[in-house]
Amino acid sequence: MISVTPKNLSEHNVKLDLNNLSPEQVALEIRNLDLYYGNKQALQNISMSIPKGQVTAFIGPSGCGKSTLLRCINRMNDLVDTCKIEGQINLHGENIYDRHTDVAALRRKVGMVFQRPNPFPKSIYENVVYGLRITGENNRRVLDEAVENALRSAALWNEVKDRLHESALGLSGGQQQRLVIARAIAIKPEVLLLDEPTSALDPISTLTIEELINDLKKQFTVVIVTHNMQQAARVSDQTAFMYMGDLIEYSDTNTLFTTPLKKKTEDYITGRYG
Amino acid sequence: MDNLNIGRHISGQFNEDLERIINHVMHMGGLVEKQLADALTSVCDADEELAKKVLENDYQINNAEVSIDDECTRIIAKRQPAAGDLRLVMAIVKTITDLERIGDEAGKIANVTLESLSGKHKDLLSNLDNLGRHVLTFLQSTLDAFTRMDYDAAVKVHKSDDKIDREYEALMRQLMTYMMEDPRSIPQVMSVIWSARALERIGDRCQNICEYIIYFVKGRDVRHTTAEDFQSLSK
Repeated sequence: MISVTPKNLSEHNVKLDLNNLSPEQVALEIRNLDLYYGNKQALQNISMSIPKGQVTAFIGPSGCGKSTLLRCINRMNDLVDTCKIEGQINLHGENIYDRHTDVAALRRKVGMVFQRPNPFPKSIYENVVYGLRITGENNRRVLDEAVENALRSAALWNEVKDRLHESALGLSGGQQQRLVIARAIAIKPEVLLLDEPTSALDPISTLTIEELINDLKKQFTVVIVTHNMQQAARVSDQTAFMYMGDLIEYSDTNTLFTTPLKKKTEDYITGRYG
Repeated sequence: MDNLNIGRHISGQFNEDLERIINHVMHMGGLVEKQLADALTSVCDADEELAKKVLENDYQINNAEVSIDDECTRIIAKRQPAAGDLRLVMAIVKTITDLERIGDEAGKIANVTLESLSGKHKDLLSNLDNLGRHVLTFLQSTLDAFTRMDYDAAVKVHKSDDKIDREYEALMRQLMTYMMEDPRSIPQVMSVIWSARALERIGDRCQNICEYIIYFVKGRDVRHTTAEDFQSLSK
């Protein structure tokens, strides 16, 4: 007789001890990160370890700093003139804010997808190979293979395989977003940052992307910012709740959504007045 | 309702939904308490009319269970409750199952009244009366702790189930002696045993409800734990 004990049932949800991850388990380590826009401090002393091969979600009300923190991970905030950053983000033990960091190389390792799908006004094929062409790859066979792999990983191949050379702008919103994800993963990054990737999509496209996120974590470390708490609950392994620039609570998603430790987290996820 | 904190949702409709469910559970608790009190009175006073009324009224408890279950399902579907709200809904769903079973146990006790014990065995019932009173108080304390979602009270009530178990065992020993002394009394004594058993089960069900209160307040699952684990988990 097969004994189904609660232990067996919960075995597939292995809980990581986020404060004591071994170096091999860590994809990114954020240490004492402060960020200022001019005089205004937008992130205060954020420290957290993001585990490898898992989905980590940042949730919190508008203006809490979750997108800012996400953008720090591939130095998108460098593009903001008034932005000043202190502290460290370590990728493979190397601080990405080190003076000698090659930002272009960093962004190849840490890909990003934004809220609104932003395909280039080119064909589907050219969109996917864009990153590879920049790195000097022009071998047709390599590119063809990369396109198929990336589109398959992004669950888009079957829908577009017969029209790869048509304009990407002719795709639906959900397809465009998956195309953008394919473009991001074609260059095989280690970390994929998703900034509210489904907020402009309908519920069915949203579910397709969520399913895709679940598949992507087998190959990449995924960090997602979302306004939709149920989405965070559905797709992520770890959830970080942020409020007014502070990291309030960071724990495994099952715990955070059933028994959060902090009252602020509880109030936010249950929709109460703060 | 101090610990429930249900009035602070941004959605007023959600507040109302939760408040309505809580009120229904309290109403159901009141019904169950009355059913048990009436069943015990009917046994001790040999009041067959009252016993019949208890059996007739059981449908109200069953209906309450079904309708509260339905409301909880609706809340889960429409509101996707999280954290404390989710634990509250889960605690309610489980509590009403136990309350409904307590109602059934009260029915079993009322049935004993209808089996009408002969005058000769009336003294058997006085012991049942004592156990019954204690179980009734136990149920009242449990419902009181549930109404306030009072963690300390739940822990205290949970522990006091031991007393009921001891009293039940003592009663069983006494009844066995009775049967050995006078085998002709076995059918009647068996009726009393069924009632005592029902009361003991009610004690266990109250203990379950206390565990749901602890789950709601602290988020810790203390079911099926040893006394020591219970102590440490429920802190």
